[in-house]
Order: sequence, then structure tokens, then C-alpha cells
Amino acid sequence: MALVSSALIAHTTKLDLVIRHVLAGLGHGIHAGRERGAGVEFSEYRAYAPGDEWRRVDWKLAARADRYFVREAERDSHVAVWLVLDASASMAEPSRSVEGLDKLSYARTQLGCVAAIAQRQGDAFGLLVLGDGKAAFTPAARGPRQLQRVLAQLSKARAGGALPDATTLKASLHFAVSPSAVYAASDLLDWPSPLSQALLRLRQMRHDVRVLGLQTQAEIDASFSDAQSYRDPEQDEGVFRFGADLKDGYRRNREAHFAGVAAQARKNDMPLLLAAIEQAPGEVLRRWLRRPGGR
Amino acid sequence: MNLLWWFALPVVLLPIWWHRRKRIENKAELMATARFLPRAEPRQTRVWRWSDPLLLLVRCLLLACLIAWLANPVFPQRGDTVIVTQGADAAWAARQAADAGLAQAERITLPGAQALNWVHAHQRELRPDARLLVLGDVPMRASRPVFGRQVELRAHAAKPANLEHHVFIASERAAEWRRMFTALDGPENVVVDAAPGAATSLIVWDRPAAPPASMKASLWLVTDPAAFPELAKAASLGALRYAATTRGRVWYNAAWPPRDADSARRLLDDWQQLHVGPRPYMLQSQVFAASKEARAPAPSGGLRDILLIALVALFVLERSLAHVRRR
Repeated sequence: MALVSSALIAHTTKLDLVIRHVLAGLGHGIHAGRERGAGVEFSEYRAYAPGDEWRRVDWKLAARADRYFVREAERDSHVAVWLVLDASASMAEPSRSVEGLDKLSYARTQLGCVAAIAQRQGDAFGLLVLGDGKAAFTPAARGPRQLQRVLAQLSKARAGGALPDATTLKASLHFAVSPSAVYAASDLLDWPSPLSQALLRLRQMRHDVRVLGLQTQAEIDASFSDAQSYRDPEQDEGVFRFGADLKDGYRRNREAHFAGVAAQARKNDMPLLLAAIEQAPGEVLRRWLRRPGGR
Repeated sequence: MNLLWWFALPVVLLPIWWHRRKRIENKAELMATARFLPRAEPRQTRVWRWSDPLLLLVRCLLLACLIAWLANPVFPQRGDTVIVTQGADAAWAARQAADAGLAQAERITLPGAQALNWVHAHQRELRPDARLLVLGDVPMRASRPVFGRQVELRAHAAKPANLEHHVFIASERAAEWRRMFTALDGPENVVVDAAPGAATSLIVWDRPAAPPASMKASLWLVTDPAAFPELAKAASLGALRYAATTRGRVWYNAAWPPRDADSARRLLDDWQQLHVGPRPYMLQSQVFAASKEARAPAPSGGLRDILLIALVALFVLERSLAHVRRR
């Protein structure tokens, strides 16, 4: 199957559908480390939830109890996956070429894919949505129910307000006791920021922190319309104009900013992927999840 | 007074202002990376641009039209005009018009009593250099008329119209009554009907029996009070008793019909004065100079109707356009 284009994200609001398409396009190589739960040591029964595999249903028990139960096996995975979504107002930046696509929906899809992969691998995963000066926290858990919960939280997220301040964010980082993988999707326009400090601190605590910096093609090419004026979504006052005379200055300022971000990430050995939201989500996801050492 | 409405014209600026403001409010778009751009002066973004120029145009026209309708403008398009009263001698009128140099002028024929009213109402419609001539028999008014422009009047007594009064006589002494009506002089003459009709204005009831209920006239001359019970409580004036009934006014005198010419003429004069009305004097030839004190004439038709139609059409158009815009 060909890679799903980012226009799909713009055209549907069903997050699980998009995720299924993106992951189907990637094939099976992306989650090679998956443990099969069925053959391993039995631990408990659990009520069936939509999304469970039928072959894990205990049919004898179903015949007795007239209800479906799933055999839950003991898992060895101790790695928790943490998804961090930046839902500040600047994430509402739309793609100027693809109608209906914006940074937040793209980030939502990427994090949803990571969550789905983590669920298939049997990892626990949790979610942290940062926006409107608050941090919405979904505790880590395993299983299809948790995936639905996380996807619902992701779908509910709306871009607005600013990132939470350092103390609020610090209070939400209590999960960082066990070894975990942190996947953060942001536009990285606020750097340094409470979010950048938190990510660097997690990295220094030996967690696996991977950052996805989202951009639009118009930002990369500095190709905005000069017919209208612009406002900064996170600052109330001030009007900005774009024109051919300002193109070079814009590009220079922007590249200097992201060069600083990249330098700090490299110094802290934190993988950073800058991607345009017009790129195919499957391809971006593959590059984001790739091990720093190579395939 | 009407002209003061023109001072309301600046109201047209309101839709202009509204249509311009909306444009400015919607203009700025959000851009997350605006921080990499230098600040611009806000005034540079205030482009003088309209939203919905068609709707704006229609709204401005609508307001202007409304004000014009209220101000009731008159477009002076009428040239030289000659007004000839009805009944005037046509040959004399043509001669007078040619004498005044207005042989080619527009000619309007009006009843004499309405001629000056027409001049009063329509004087603004005449071009400033146009002349106005009134020919014929115009009845004199209590006060001298005043006009905003010069009006010339040439008087000529009209041939008296054939004024007929229909009379019905119900009497055994019909010949005596008829003799009374021969005493009438002046332009009027009396026609004695065989049966009372709608045109009958005077009924002579010289019988003791009551008349049928359907018979009506403005005046009844009665010789027997038994026919009209209303006469029992009637007011009296000398030998005459009079009362207002549903059939008309009733005069009663036991001495009727009049025996001699004097009393016949007296009765006919009274009838003439009270029921036919006095004949007006004729206004003499004269020139009314233009006067500043002339009151603003009453609103006159033409342009007002056109403006009203335009107003309705524009209103419908405006509502439709506004509706289309909202969808």
C-alpha cells in the first residue's frame, strides 16, 4: 500500500481510522519487538474489550459464563511510553497548501500512531497534553481500552493559550521514575521554554526522549501571501506584514532559531526530527522512531 | 420645511463606514512564526477596501432615495402655460394668448374655481423663465392670492351656464305655483318635473296626505302641517315654520302659494340665498407680482411617485442581497 498522504488527516476526523491507514502503509517492520501474549505464562482473566484479538478469548469460559473473557498474560516490558502533545495556540498554524491540515492534527496523528504501536507491543503508555496554561495528564496503562482513552484525549485536544509554566509542568513529571520513552510533538517555536527545560531534564535522567518539530512548507520556503497582515496567535498586540523584502530576514531569523534548538538537542544527545506537515505521515513516523544508531 | 430633509444626507455615510470597518477587522490572519518578522505599523494594514460593494451601493441609494422622497423635490420642466377656465369664449382666449405672445404655450382647461388652486400647487414645476397666464372667469376670493412667481390674469365674463333647478309640484293649485316660478330672474331657470327624481331639489307639497317615504329633496314647501309631524315642534320665523326632517328641509307657511309678485320674489330670493348659494364676483384683470411671502406650496405628485417606486424596488433589492450574503 502506498504511503498515506497528509491530506488524509485533513479529510477525516476519525483518528483511529487515520492511524490504521498510516500503520498499514508502514508494514510490520516498525514493531518487530512485539511479544505475543497468548503463549506466555497466564496471569489473569480480563473482560473483552473491542480491539482484542479473537484468538485470545477463552471460549470455554465464554461457554460457561456467557460472556467473553480474554486471557491476560504476564508481560516483561517495563518500558513506559509517554506521549507529550504541545497544544498551544501556535499549533493551530494551518498548512498554506493543503486545505484543512494544521500542525495540531498532524501531531495528533503521529502520537496516535506511537500509542497504537506501543499498545501492540504491550507497553504501557500515557499522555500529556500541554495547552491553555494547563497540563492534562492521562496515566500510563496497557491495553486496547487505554488506546481508546488516549485517542479520545488526543481528539479532544484543541490548540489554544500558551504552554504551562515551569512549576505546573514539573508537577506533571512525577512519572519519570521508571525508565521510559518520551515522544514529544511540538512546533518548537518557544525555545527555551518550560517544555524544553522539562525535555532536557528528562533526557539528563537517562530517559529516551524523542522530539518531533513540526513545520509547514510555507515556513520552510518563506512563501506567505503578502496581500494581508498577520498576527501572532500567542501575543495579543502587534501586526506583522510579509513581503518580498522581508523574506530573507524571515528565513535568517527562523534558521538561526532552529539551529539553536538543534544544537542544544545534539549537545544533550536528544534525537530531534524537524518535519513539514505536508510530508507523508508514515514516512515521518518511520524517521522519528528509527534508532539513532541506524536501522 | 421639506427642504430641511436634504440636511439628513450625511446618513448615507453610515453604510459606507460599516462596510469599510468590517474589512479591517477581518484582515489580520494568524501566523505562528510571525515572531520572525519585524513589527509593521498597523496603519499600513488599513487598506480602504469595501466589503460587498453592490450591497453598499444599494444601501446608499436606498437612503438617498428615502431622503429625496421626504424632501419632495420638484423638477421644473413646465414651460409657458396658459390656463383657460371652463366656459370661457375660445376665440377670445386664443386672441388673448396670441396677444401675450403665448400662442404656442401649453394650454390647460380648468373649472374657474380651481384655476388659482392649480397655479398655487404647481407653480414650482415651471421653469424660472416660463410665463403663466390665466384667462377667463375666475371667482373672487375673500383674500388676495399670493404667488411665488408672476401670474397674469385676464378676466372675461363667461357666458352664464345653463343652470337648471328641477322642481316637482304636488298640488291641486299647480298653475299658481308655476306662476310663482316665473318671477325667478338671473341665469337659473326652473324645470318642473312630472315625477320626482334624483335631480329634484325642490318639492312643493300642497296636499294634506303625507308624502311617500322614498321621496327626498333638499327643500320642501308645505302648506299643510299634517303631512309632516316634525312641523308640530318646529321653530318659526314670522309666519314661516321650518324644520329639518329625514326627507330634507321643510318650510311651512299657511299663506302659500304667494298671491303677488313681491311675496313670490321674496320666497324665491330666500330659496336662492339659502339653498342655491350666492353667485361669486368675478376677479378683475390684474398681474400678481412674485412674492417672497408665498407659502411653500403643498406637495405635488410626479417625482414623488417615481421616488416611491424606486424606494420600494431598492428596499426589495437590499433585503435580497443581504439575505444572499448571510447564507
